[in-house]
Amino acid sequence: MATMEAEAIRLLLRGAFPEADEIAVEDRTGGGDHFQVTVASPAFDGLSLLDQHRRVNEALSAPLADGSIHELRIKTKGSA
Amino acid sequence: MKPLQEQISDVIEQQPVALFMKGTPEAVMCGNSYRALNALHAAGAPVTTVDILPDPRIRQELSALSGWPTIPQVFVKGELIGGADITEELVASGELQRKLDDALGPERDGGLRTVALELG
Repeated sequence: MATMEAEAIRLLLRGAFPEADEIAVEDRTGGGDHFQVTVASPAFDGLSLLDQHRRVNEALSAPLADGSIHELRIKTKGSA
Repeated sequence: MKPLQEQISDVIEQQPVALFMKGTPEAVMCGNSYRALNALHAAGAPVTTVDILPDPRIRQELSALSGWPTIPQVFVKGELIGGADITEELVASGELQRKLDDALGPERDGGLRTVALELG
């Protein structure tokens, strides 16, 4: 099973959310396939929670599709 | 036998609260599925679970229908709520309970049932 560095995920998220105030990626198990990501971005303002998570899933669609990310936990926030 | 996609959409449309998960409530095979199930219990939701593990086509057809890539997936009255994180957040904020009250009434039962899809 492919694995991923947290930094690679952070770069994908930064590419998708260049205006983000906060992007954090935690490898929850150290195994490179269970991740907790936190994204705070004004891009989320006015979007439902569902659509906010959709945006994050889209940014990580490749590693989600090929199984590099086995489990993803998402926390999104709008602008402060 | 109905096509798989039709069976899945029947569950989504007909069950008050549908949870597509890895495993069954008795043998949950994934942490996020467990979190979603627990959150729905805490909200007093009647839950109908579908195990997606018996055949990879279940997950493919489900994600094609919902546009949501990951498991678990929670639906209330045919509407996609989200995965484990959203379900937990909406239960913590009380929003899911309000949604259930609106959709199913405050006297809803918190029962649990499981639907097995027919695989060709």
